[in-house]
Amino acid sequence: MERNAQHAFDAAEVMAYLDGELEARRAAALAAHLVSCSECQEVAQGFRALSERMLSFEVEHPSAGMNETVLAALDSGQSAKAPTAGRARNLRAWNWQRMFARPRNWAIACAVTVAAIAFIGIPILRRERSAPLNGRNFTNLVTLEHEGSAFRASEEAQGPANALPASRGAIPVFSERTVPPEPPPPASGDELKAPENVGPMIVQTASLNILATNYDGASAAIEKFAAAHGGYVEKLDAKAQTRNARELSAALRIPTKQLDAFLADVRKLGHVEEETRSNEEVSDQYVDLQARLKSARATEQRLIELLGTRTGKLQDVLEAERELARIRGEIEGMQGQSAILVHRVNYATVQVDLSEEYRQVLGSGPISTGTRLRNAAVEGFANLEEGAVALAVFLFAVGPSFLFWLAILLVPGWFLWKRFRVRA
Amino acid sequence: MNSDNQLILEFQQGSREAFVELFERYREPIYGFFRRRLDYPARAEELAQECFLALLQNVQRYEPRASFRSYLYGIAIHLVAAERRKAGREVVENEMLDGRAMEGNAAENNDAGIWVRNALGHLEQSEREILMLREYEQLSYGEIAAVLRMPLNTVRSRLFRARAALKNQLLPVRD
Repeated sequence: MERNAQHAFDAAEVMAYLDGELEARRAAALAAHLVSCSECQEVAQGFRALSERMLSFEVEHPSAGMNETVLAALDSGQSAKAPTAGRARNLRAWNWQRMFARPRNWAIACAVTVAAIAFIGIPILRRERSAPLNGRNFTNLVTLEHEGSAFRASEEAQGPANALPASRGAIPVFSERTVPPEPPPPASGDELKAPENVGPMIVQTASLNILATNYDGASAAIEKFAAAHGGYVEKLDAKAQTRNARELSAALRIPTKQLDAFLADVRKLGHVEEETRSNEEVSDQYVDLQARLKSARATEQRLIELLGTRTGKLQDVLEAERELARIRGEIEGMQGQSAILVHRVNYATVQVDLSEEYRQVLGSGPISTGTRLRNAAVEGFANLEEGAVALAVFLFAVGPSFLFWLAILLVPGWFLWKRFRVRA
Repeated sequence: MNSDNQLILEFQQGSREAFVELFERYREPIYGFFRRRLDYPARAEELAQECFLALLQNVQRYEPRASFRSYLYGIAIHLVAAERRKAGREVVENEMLDGRAMEGNAAENNDAGIWVRNALGHLEQSEREILMLREYEQLSYGEIAAVLRMPLNTVRSRLFRARAALKNQLLPVRD
């Protein structure tokens, strides 16, 4: 089909004209041209002859069985026999399915969503970022430490309602206050004396788990009861976590004689879920300690007498002095142990664990819904940014080598593909 | 006389007669489509049936924006492609087109038909498909482009190449 390069119409246009696919004005021009151009007439005749020749590739007619099968399927309900409304519903469902089945539509939907979020969210976030953040801490961890006496004094002054900083009004997310062990009251001579002729020496401990309906009042009352019975607070931990029951754990030292009365008062604070008491007899330890103390004092006295009445070598004198110092150290240690033991006997240890009868509160808690949404948006944009940066880093890291190998492999791969297609 | 598109829309509305009319119009063309591309008449008939059954089952997927012929021959192309994959990637077709004796009636096995089959077998596959859709199924360029999902100009250029190649094989060369 070689044609003169200067010819007005090429062979492809002649073909399209014969197929009825040429644009109307061009087709009219070509028709007029065909009348006078023998070369184009020859080309057209070639196409016509080819089509006629191809029609010699005939096929037989299909059998009648094909009709029966298809029409039987039509009558058996495979066709669209559903009511119009149902069919329309199916069609709508199908349109939705097709819409979401197309990756292009998904890409468009994602792009629109991202654009909408960016359009709406970024100005808000920028405004938020530029605004001062005073008082906008989302979590507030408060740890208060008080000296035992000062703590008591401040609580008594503030009253039960302010007994705990984590009460509902203050609303820190988490608060804890810890009262460090209060130094024992100064030991008077009476306290450190062994309770002679009053029976065995018993160290008493008690533990109560109380579920309080009025938590604020109960937590304040514990310390008042301890003070009223001559005791003191050794350690106090209060926890008030968001959406959890508040808890107070108090280690108290109560005079042994007042223990029963104190426990009776504490039991009134709420429902006692668990109570344990234990007694440990330490008479043997005390007697042994006193005996060793007495012996050490006698040794000390003899050494003093020796140093005062006898004379001898300087080395012997120094040796006696060292022995005296050692004995005095032992005596002081044993006196301390004795004092602690006596204090443990005179003051019972009471562990009170107070928990609130928690009632779930409807609402979003201390963090408002708007703030949570804003935080989620910030996190979402941060993730988006991190993802974009990670993608860019990946592209920069892998891209050059990927393009290099692609260039190396693409050309031979393309030739192989072309060869495969030609063979196929 | 209703157009194909009107009939398929009526069938979507539940008209049995509309489908019967369409079936009558396309029964032989669809059979011929498969018959020219496959080795055995029985298999061609089975696939023609499957084509109409697929039309029955998926009639709601038809949208008026496409011509019915494009839609129907799109189904047929899909079935032929599946058949070729199943039979070992065009083995069936190549065997059919390599001039081997086939079962069929006398008209099919005439000399001219065999020559045409042989010549078609030497064409590149996409060009051959375009040429056959044009010559035997009488699809327009636009319909072919829709069925094969390729640009219109590609259809036109490949059709021209296919015709030129076939002409060189079938028609005597003038000095």
